[in-house]
Amino acid sequence: MSKMKGHISNIIQPVFAIFVGLAVGTIAILLAGESVFLTYREMWEGAFGSLYFLSNTLERSIPIILAGLGVAFAFRAGFFNLGAEGQLVMGAVTTAIVTVYLPFQGFLNLVISIGAGMLIAGLLSFFAGWMEQKFQINLLISTLLLNYIAVLFAGYLVSEPFRDTTSSGGVAHSVMVEDASKLPKLLTGMNVHYGFVLAIIITILLAFIIKRTTFGYEVRMLGQNMFFAQYGGINRKKVMFISMLISGMLAGLAGSVEVMGMHYRFIEGALTTPQFAWTGLMAALLANSNPVGTAIIAIFLAALDTGALGVERNTDVPNAISDIIQAVLILFISAKFTMAFIKSKRKRGAK
Amino acid sequence: MLELRGITKKYGEFTANDQIDFSLVKQEIHAIVGENGAGKTTLMRMLYGMEEPTSGDIFVHDKKRKIQSPNDAIGLGIGMVHQHFMLFPSFTIAENVVFHHEPRKKWRYDRKKANQEVEQLAKKFGMEINPNQKISDAPVGVQQRVEILKVLYQGAEIIILDEPTAVLTPLEVKDLLNSLRELVKMGKSIILITHKLNEVMEVADRITVLRDGKVSGSLKKEATDTEELSRLMVGRELQKKQLPKVTSGKAVLDVNQVYVNDSKNKAAVENISVQVHQGEIVGVAGVSGNGQSELIQAITGLVKTSAGKIRINDHDVTNHSVRQIRDRGLSHIPEDRYLWGAAKSASILDNLIMTDYRKSPLAQRGILNKGKIHSYVNNSIKRFDVKASSINTSAQYLSGGNLQKLIAAREIQKDTPLLLAAEPTRGVDIGAMEFIHEQIIEKRNNGDAVLLISSELSEILALSDRVLVMFEGKIVGEFDRENVSEEKLSLLMAGGTYE
Repeated sequence: MSKMKGHISNIIQPVFAIFVGLAVGTIAILLAGESVFLTYREMWEGAFGSLYFLSNTLERSIPIILAGLGVAFAFRAGFFNLGAEGQLVMGAVTTAIVTVYLPFQGFLNLVISIGAGMLIAGLLSFFAGWMEQKFQINLLISTLLLNYIAVLFAGYLVSEPFRDTTSSGGVAHSVMVEDASKLPKLLTGMNVHYGFVLAIIITILLAFIIKRTTFGYEVRMLGQNMFFAQYGGINRKKVMFISMLISGMLAGLAGSVEVMGMHYRFIEGALTTPQFAWTGLMAALLANSNPVGTAIIAIFLAALDTGALGVERNTDVPNAISDIIQAVLILFISAKFTMAFIKSKRKRGAK
Repeated sequence: MLELRGITKKYGEFTANDQIDFSLVKQEIHAIVGENGAGKTTLMRMLYGMEEPTSGDIFVHDKKRKIQSPNDAIGLGIGMVHQHFMLFPSFTIAENVVFHHEPRKKWRYDRKKANQEVEQLAKKFGMEINPNQKISDAPVGVQQRVEILKVLYQGAEIIILDEPTAVLTPLEVKDLLNSLRELVKMGKSIILITHKLNEVMEVADRITVLRDGKVSGSLKKEATDTEELSRLMVGRELQKKQLPKVTSGKAVLDVNQVYVNDSKNKAAVENISVQVHQGEIVGVAGVSGNGQSELIQAITGLVKTSAGKIRINDHDVTNHSVRQIRDRGLSHIPEDRYLWGAAKSASILDNLIMTDYRKSPLAQRGILNKGKIHSYVNNSIKRFDVKASSINTSAQYLSGGNLQKLIAAREIQKDTPLLLAAEPTRGVDIGAMEFIHEQIIEKRNNGDAVLLISSELSEILALSDRVLVMFEGKIVGEFDRENVSEEKLSLLMAGGTYE
């Protein structure tokens, strides 16, 4: 009974937020002087209207789902990983370099290069956790600042030592992945690749780990009351290290599959400009860090982006419409946090 | 000078202060005593404008006043010295004292004048300070003097001191009490909040005792003694339970000359030795805040000891991890059920399996067994009579008594050889209290060892085979069940001596 209630309120919150987001979008469309119905139809068409557009949307959702799951997992244990962007980029650049330099091609190359990307990204996130443990450096700050280091370092790697010099000019990028080692497409001629299947499998796996394993129990209890967890004998340090590692690895995987399945090389800025990591963070927060919810909302947010491109193609409404709707969602997330903060403060005052 | 009439403060359902009358005359020290949670601090926060009363009136100099902020209070000549100092560590003493009321030379800070004024002020009230010293270099006793000077500099006539001696060494306490007498001689009036009765008896003129948010006594110092005060502070009826004789066996818990430091590196537990045998309940009595929390945390592995040995069933568990100690056979009802004992937003189920979730049959190879967990949880809440609509309800919807029963269920039904029960019935209704007491006695009768730590005298007297008294981190008395009495305990708890 109350479990049902909990589930329903978990679903109602993001749905309501999205509804208000679309309502505010409506106002923006009216201001732009276009037909609301037409614009939203174009948006729907642009996101799901044909197999081709659907495949674009799903492809775009892959890194968002994976980065979102990474954030969600750390958040479940009570740790805020704001470093998904840096981890994603480090994962991507590592994969792009390793795949080119491995002496063999094929499936094994794919697995090893993606694994290397995940490892490096995981270590980056683990490093932030280690600094928290060792020097009491706030995770929010360290993970956020490590983004700059990671993104700029990756940019350096493909601008200087690992730059692809065969093509001239343009944005710095690494050498192309061999065909034999690419992550295959799900459907020929479509963008969506096997990374999507991987993302769905990991979503289910993570949901299982959180709900049904003893480690997941430790993660949840630590996230809900650190003192209670310690009282019960849960080792905070261990759980933090593991959950930060996993969180970083998932963000890294987001970058790695994007390289192996979509761009086939690391292109400077190609993973940061679309804001994959931050959109993933938004999905995790809107879904209360529930893995399945995170995946669903990630697909929705991806659809918002691809749909907005459709809107721009066929109407006079700029694709900033997607930004406006997302901004409203962010507003909702921060309002939720503010409310929780005020509530907890009030309670403490009453004590 | 100051009068409170019928002051009541409610937080939702909870009444923190109930119809409190209080008065302060010029040049007196009026002490407010009471246990932690009796409502002393709430009352003072209202006087200082940090909270507003739900009902009742405050009169200052016979005029009804509304005090809505600390600034209002300062304007009326009321100053407060907080328990936790509010000073800038990197500023000098003089800078801290004049802060917000700095003497200026045009638009600049006039350091010379500030130093002079502060020095004169200190001299006037017989306090020794060096105005140029940095707060971070000054000892705690001096920092407190700075707090008092700050209040005086703001022109306070009425000075409220909240637990001023909690952080001081005995020598500093003596200095402080002398300063207080000096202040009164110079025409100030003082409200002293504390739970240390010997200090009260030494310095106060009148004493108001609070218990459960109500005034349980208002007395002149000459007309009372520590014994009466502690009875007024703690006083509850005691029903001594019948404890069937159990021949106590070997020592299960052996705490040997243990020292624990608190977060400020002050010794909170000094040289404590306790043994608890099979079939025995050992009660540790004491006013909260005398080192019990630190002792509990040291035994359970939540803080490190600085010296001494702790053994469970002859295994050394000193400074082992919580999990290692629990695996040696400790279960633990924590003193604060919301902080340590439960995760409020988690379900009843999640809260109940905390101590057993790793073990068969609840889990195999790291995977939780849903079916086994459900039957385990359903059994527990039935056996311990936890009233809840469903095991998936989150713990925050349980009443205090029900949540405490849940925690007791989790810890008692495990059949561990040792139970550490800290304040097992604090703030729960009579029904839940009786129930938990029966469960603890049953555990003892089964031959397990129980260490009971409680500030509730009635609870200690009702349950314990043996009673120890803790005061300022030390054990100051030990009694058998046959020759213990409330009078003896309350005297020792208040820092008195008993021959």
